[in-house]
Amino acid sequence: MDHWQNFSRRDFIKISSLFLAGSAAMSSSAGQAFSGLGQSGSDENSDRIVYSFCEHCFWRCGIAAHVRDGKVYKIVGSEHHPLSQGKLCPRGTGGIGLLYDPDRLQHPLIRETKGGKQYYRKASWDEATGMVAEKLYGIHEKYGPGAIAMLHHGFGVSFFKQMFSQIGVNKFAKPSYDLCCGPARQASVLTYGYPSGTPEGFDIKNSKYMIFFGTHFGENMHNTAVQEISEGIRRGAKIAVFDPRFSTIAGKAEHWLPIKPGTDIAMMQGLMHVLISENLYDRSFVQHHTVGFGELWDSVRKMTPEKVAEITEIPADAIRTVAREFAFNAPAAFVHSGRRTNWYGDALQRIRAIHILNALVGNFKMPGGVVNFDKFVLKKPKTAHAHPPYEKSVYSRYPFFPDDEPSNTIASHEIVQQAISGEIKALMIYGVNLPETMTLGRETAIEALRKVDFMVAVDVLPAEVTGYADVVLPECTYLERYDALDAGRNFRTPFVALRQPAVPPMYESKPGNQIAKMITDKWGMHGVFPASVEAGLDKTLKMTGSSLEEIKKTGVIVRPETDLYRKPGVALNLKTPSGKIELASSRLRAAGFDAVPRYTPQPEAPAGFYRMLTGRKPMLTFGRTANNRFLGDVATAKENEVWVNTETAAKHDLNNDEYVHLKNQAGVVSEFPVKVKVTQRIRPDAVFMVHGFGHTAAKMTWAYKRGASHNQLISRTDIDPAMGSVGFQNNFVTFIKEA
Amino acid sequence: MTATAATEIISTKINPNVVPHLHIWEWQIPLYLFLGGMAGGLLVITSIMIVLKRKFGIGPKDAGEGCPCLAIRIGSALSPILLAVGMIFLFLDLAHPLYVWAFYTTVQPTSPMSAGSWILVAFFPLAVLQAMLVNKRQLRTFDVGIVHKVLDWTEGHMTIVALVNAHIGVGIGIYTGILLSFFSARPLWSSSILGMLFLVSGISAAAALMLLLAPEEEKPIYSMIDANAIWIELVTVGLFVLGGLTGSANSSGAMMHLIGGNAVMAGIPYAYWFWGLFVGAGLLVPLLLEFLEAAGVHIKYPNVAPIMVLTGGMLLRFLIVFAGQSYHTFM
Amino acid sequence: MVIDTRVCVGCSACVYACKSENAVPEGYCRDWVVQETKGNFPKLTMENRSERCQHCENAPCVTYCPTRASHYAEDGTVQINRSLCTGCKACLAACPYDARYIHPDGFADKCSLCHHRIEQGLKTACVSVCPTGSLHLVDFNDPDEEAQKLMAGRIVYRQKEHAGTGPSLFWISASNKPGA
Repeated sequence: MDHWQNFSRRDFIKISSLFLAGSAAMSSSAGQAFSGLGQSGSDENSDRIVYSFCEHCFWRCGIAAHVRDGKVYKIVGSEHHPLSQGKLCPRGTGGIGLLYDPDRLQHPLIRETKGGKQYYRKASWDEATGMVAEKLYGIHEKYGPGAIAMLHHGFGVSFFKQMFSQIGVNKFAKPSYDLCCGPARQASVLTYGYPSGTPEGFDIKNSKYMIFFGTHFGENMHNTAVQEISEGIRRGAKIAVFDPRFSTIAGKAEHWLPIKPGTDIAMMQGLMHVLISENLYDRSFVQHHTVGFGELWDSVRKMTPEKVAEITEIPADAIRTVAREFAFNAPAAFVHSGRRTNWYGDALQRIRAIHILNALVGNFKMPGGVVNFDKFVLKKPKTAHAHPPYEKSVYSRYPFFPDDEPSNTIASHEIVQQAISGEIKALMIYGVNLPETMTLGRETAIEALRKVDFMVAVDVLPAEVTGYADVVLPECTYLERYDALDAGRNFRTPFVALRQPAVPPMYESKPGNQIAKMITDKWGMHGVFPASVEAGLDKTLKMTGSSLEEIKKTGVIVRPETDLYRKPGVALNLKTPSGKIELASSRLRAAGFDAVPRYTPQPEAPAGFYRMLTGRKPMLTFGRTANNRFLGDVATAKENEVWVNTETAAKHDLNNDEYVHLKNQAGVVSEFPVKVKVTQRIRPDAVFMVHGFGHTAAKMTWAYKRGASHNQLISRTDIDPAMGSVGFQNNFVTFIKEA
Repeated sequence: MTATAATEIISTKINPNVVPHLHIWEWQIPLYLFLGGMAGGLLVITSIMIVLKRKFGIGPKDAGEGCPCLAIRIGSALSPILLAVGMIFLFLDLAHPLYVWAFYTTVQPTSPMSAGSWILVAFFPLAVLQAMLVNKRQLRTFDVGIVHKVLDWTEGHMTIVALVNAHIGVGIGIYTGILLSFFSARPLWSSSILGMLFLVSGISAAAALMLLLAPEEEKPIYSMIDANAIWIELVTVGLFVLGGLTGSANSSGAMMHLIGGNAVMAGIPYAYWFWGLFVGAGLLVPLLLEFLEAAGVHIKYPNVAPIMVLTGGMLLRFLIVFAGQSYHTFM
Repeated sequence: MVIDTRVCVGCSACVYACKSENAVPEGYCRDWVVQETKGNFPKLTMENRSERCQHCENAPCVTYCPTRASHYAEDGTVQINRSLCTGCKACLAACPYDARYIHPDGFADKCSLCHHRIEQGLKTACVSVCPTGSLHLVDFNDPDEEAQKLMAGRIVYRQKEHAGTGPSLFWISASNKPGA
């Protein structure tokens, strides 16, 4: 019954503008496409306000979408949602730029070949989901469920997980694990016995002293964290920042320490040395609630401030000062573990070192220290349709890959490798722009996409990845759909949030909850999903004593503040082998890894090359906003720049605002030129460029050729052998001036 | 290694009107200022000459029947025509042209633009009247009833009309300057001598125009007027430049931006335009030529000097309007 | 307004909120963010500012407007009556803060301090969205002296005071010591 072609080699197809929204479909007058109505001064009371939550980043802040005459004309922060408190970051405000993006995918597309040339043709939902259902089922029959995998990024994936469960498929990867926050998550598991959540478990609201290693709040716009840090600044809290670059948060710091890149662990060991040798650590806490202190001290005994100063290029006095101030303000003081923590091959150990510092000053579950926010306990109704048993619960070969996250059972780079090796025959890609994510590099990603027998992409925009699919399914944006209830954020006041549509889906896009259902229906499996997504939500909410109608009023159900703090004399009873905080991790030791962090020097840059660091701009995300014209309409969002220290620039005869190409240590040259920013704000031995630019997908007409791709210049990756994160900071670039 | 601390500024501002610098007025405005200045100058020269003749008997021979000589008749007619043409350009520059009537809904004494729009209301009837009066012989031959009426009514008062017009002419010349000089936010423009500079420049341009158009026997007086206007203009330009250079950091920076520096207009640095074409070719060379001519030296192409003056006058407006926008705002 | 630059991170949420709220046309902005860094590596300082029209007490744009399109409203803010604006652009030349732009429809435009929201008892779009709480609307006539409370004991400045414009945005400098 194979109506459709098998492509032995998948060419990249540029999606024809016939299949995209096109500006003709949009209102034509200047600014209308994203500014909604064009009339200010109308009565806000006549707006229809829809409470939902944002999808531009994982924080998932509550939003209030204002709808007038059938259009969302502005999005503001929900005053009811605990993470927003009525405030919103620029990305959230820019949701209208995604909703009304003229380049949006409009119809399902199926790959065809004609006269040797591959192209996409428009297909009906029936045909497209039919093809997806048949192909996936066929591959599952022939090769088993382990031959099918899904890469996903986005809250709407829950329906596809459920769909896949019906054929026993649970090989899922979140690239945000191995390319972003995996190390922080697992370091917390190994040290405290629980994974770090979102918002990260720090009691910023009550803290007096905050230390950040490279974490760039203000450029990453974690709404609640930024709110609480600001509140702290008003209160007089002090900040210390270790960063090779003078970031925005460094601009607010009492101490900015321009640390040599790659030496963070050494610095942390130096701080530990001061805390222990000067007897500043919380002796009692360490004695009663931690294990491994002796082993820890042995590992840092030789890391005196003087020795560390040599390694990190930070003066010994500064190291002592920070350590002493940290201890002085403890326990209302913390070292933040950050979020994107996949830096080098010792990523896990780096965050373990951070938590060891926290544990040494006894800030665990103390006001202003490390805390573990609670989640809203959402009772779920029993699924009507039982699924076949899974072959495994975890597919990753990394010993400390999480085993408690059903949505993340393998590392994304392992999927890429298995696709190339042929173990994986079919891929569903939900909102992951693989050629531009950092999984083992662009070429490898494309090889994987070409190799699999079948690839279906579910996306909103014609990102690069959609050019390699057999079937492209256009999902509508988060503003046009219901998703599962969000009880996944940890916070002082546990809450569950509703995502509901503000406007109906545009063009022929559909919500994931319908797409997944269409596929299971094609498999002949009915009753997998509730009769309607609303019915399912209502049923779940009724189990908490609420209802869909009730939650729609404010978009959230919020519980009172939980007790975050430990009581004196009470044992911690953590889910670690010792039940205590593991300064030395017995689990790591048992698996043959270092029980305590060890500093390993990183490779130095070749002569004339500079370490390439990356980060964010506050008004953009890495992928979802790349094509957002509304957000792109400020001077600083129009392109990325490469930050070059003034001295370095002089050496290479670079002028401010000049365009150059970058070449990395493996000889890869950036496809597009990038603007040089000559600045005092970075060490001479490093350069910085924001990730997420330099797109090659021509149908993303705003993103196309804008800026240069940081991702393209990643040739070397350092994989953490314990938990599988992919570090990419050992990449170095030099400059090629335009002829 | 810099000894002084550097400042880096990043701004999200997008606004082609002010980023990277003020950009609101293009060729329409300098052209209007030139035509307006020239119209004001024409009015000043012609009306003063009418008064001098009528009251003191000084000046070229009348044409007869109370009409002044040809040059004055041409000049008087050109004044409102040129200003009307200039106002077309002014209108073209408006971004919200359908609302142009709003200028005439109020008088805003603190706004030179408002003062200017009302001066023009005073200017047109009186300048047209003067043009009619000096050309009454020709006009009467067309035998239009209303024209006869107006002439009958006013012809005894030509001297008064001219006297009033002399003041209006000065007003127009100055107003084109203070239109710009009131903007304290724009350091190049906010010079207290700009009004005088534009007035003198307008008079020199007007004299040059009349020199070009006057019949041979009437030319000498316009040559003399022009030569004097030019040296007064040179002094005024000198004061303008020196005043800028010796002023505050804003003023001296703005002036250096105009007379030195790297900024360009049509691909050529301001400095070349200013010193080469305006001061050199637009003022010094014509002054020399007219001096030589007055001393009796035969100049082969006598029209060169006034054409250079006119070009210089137009160039002055372009330079000041563009350089004033391309320099940063008041700090 | 009183603007606390100690906490501003320059995220530009204020810019986008204003854009949506006031239908600011593409290619223009009514407010903008400036990030100023001073010094030489590694001794650097930074200030972030969310800037907009200063609603001056002695506004050159009002002084210069020939038609009274730019005028003082009852609450002391500077507003533009679009149906009196000829688009002569004098106000753009007059403003030392470069706060104005010419709307594609022809009239001059700028921050209106969201007077349509203030009339309804709401705060301006920028103040409402700001995640760091940097922006504060204050009534300088308020007997509760919220403005004074925000500014007391801190280094506060106004921009281009020497221009004589009497700007009504007060900036709490980022050079204030933590906890000031």
